[in-house]
Amino acid sequence: MIVSAALCPWPPLLVRELTGADPVLPELRAACAAAVTALLAAGPELVAVVGPGPRTARWPADGRLDVAAFGGGPPGDPARPVLPPAAGIGAYLLDQAGYQGPRLVWSVSEDEPASRCAALGAELAGLGGGQRTGLLVLGDGSARRGPRAPGYVDGRAAAFDASAERAVRAGDLPALLDLDPGLARELMATGRPAWQVLAGACPGPLRPVHVRYAGDPFGVMYLVASLAPSAP
Amino acid sequence: MLNENLPGPLTLGQRSFAPQQRLVMAIVNRTPDSFYDKGATWDVSAAMERVHAVVAEGADIVDIGGVAAAPGAAVSVAEETRRTVPFVAAVRAAYPDLVISVDTWRHQVGRAACQAGANLLNDTWGGQDPQLAAVAAEFGAGLVCAHAGPLAPQTRPFRVAYPDVMADVLDRTLGQASRAVAAGVAPAAILIDAAHDFGKNTWQSLEVTRRLGEMTGTGWPVLVSLSNKDFIGETLDRPPGGRLTGTLASTAVCAWLGARVFRVHQVQQTREVLAMVSAIRGEQPPARAVRGLA
Repeated sequence: MIVSAALCPWPPLLVRELTGADPVLPELRAACAAAVTALLAAGPELVAVVGPGPRTARWPADGRLDVAAFGGGPPGDPARPVLPPAAGIGAYLLDQAGYQGPRLVWSVSEDEPASRCAALGAELAGLGGGQRTGLLVLGDGSARRGPRAPGYVDGRAAAFDASAERAVRAGDLPALLDLDPGLARELMATGRPAWQVLAGACPGPLRPVHVRYAGDPFGVMYLVASLAPSAP
Repeated sequence: MLNENLPGPLTLGQRSFAPQQRLVMAIVNRTPDSFYDKGATWDVSAAMERVHAVVAEGADIVDIGGVAAAPGAAVSVAEETRRTVPFVAAVRAAYPDLVISVDTWRHQVGRAACQAGANLLNDTWGGQDPQLAAVAAEFGAGLVCAHAGPLAPQTRPFRVAYPDVMADVLDRTLGQASRAVAAGVAPAAILIDAAHDFGKNTWQSLEVTRRLGEMTGTGWPVLVSLSNKDFIGETLDRPPGGRLTGTLASTAVCAWLGARVFRVHQVQQTREVLAMVSAIRGEQPPARAVRGLA
């Protein structure tokens, strides 16, 4: 049973050590931290982390982000297995929040159709049995939102991202299942499969919704939201 | 293939360069949109003036490119050819012995450029077109084997992660060098290039700089293309026009670690840095030493 969800992007720059002397986007980091704090305040007995990855798979619960793969930061704990970057950011955010409880970690491939993502979400929601489960979803909108963006410009990016943001703001998660996987891939919108897992995990409305950050300072759409948090 | 780990001469066109020689490759863009010069040599006469200037400043090689590295308007083979090939022919006519490099990943452009007199194909995007090496072999031209990571041409890195960035650089560049040899390119005309910023974030470009000795230790001549790049801009928080100091510092470090070819915008300043490093290493005498000696 999903009691609360947090939606965060997974740019590596969320790791403070990776941006050098300049904190770069402290407000984004703070928004993600607040979303995770609100998620944990709902008192989950289990936190499920899901993010896009090279394949759909369950990962070790004690997995970590490989910060060194991005070239900076301290070497990670060698006793903890390395996760794909998106799920790794999820684990990192939980670590930062001091969360010590049980975790369930999944990656979902960008090749999964919406129906498979939704089915995975339903499975995830049930994996905890009757446990109160918090869901931490990692996903970004398009990385093609301007000439300085990683993927340069695609005129379709704004409308795609707006439809996703609209669904989240309205708490209308089933609408996320309408996002087209092919278009998402072309737009470098890595969040699509994970958002659709969220939709499958929460067939009913998950309200209230608190959008903590929505912006594209580097040409990638970042959306941070709390769904059914028990704290503001 | 490790080229027996012993640096040998680099042979490009009619010229042969000993391992201790540090060469300057001057960038000559035939583009309206390259990040640093913003089309300063888009006009053919301006480009030829740039060639005259860099040769006078001591450039050993000119590198002529027709497609900006950053994303933007797609440039067709025909358009890239139109931008670069007649200009290669004009430079060849003006300088019969100058080493002319063409910055391209496309074998069609490489072929036309070699027919017009190019001696070196600078494959900055790292072997995207497997036929490019065969073209170099056919014309007796050299080849730069660069590391762009997983990137396609004219794309930016997006959250690129490497378990070990230098291991990936070595794996890809040495693999390309081996394939080039197998395709018939003369081993003495092959260079490897870490391709700073290509498929790399700033941390990763700094790391390949720090570990450049692992590349030079393979015996293959190493080319570095550092000039005014974003990893310098991000390190020093400077815009493209304010990165010369950082470029020259990086140049000195790479020269010390054994790089042999430096692809640059600023030829004269680079020449001075390289002369200084060569003198510190004891490989070249000072221009004039009388202090305490008179």
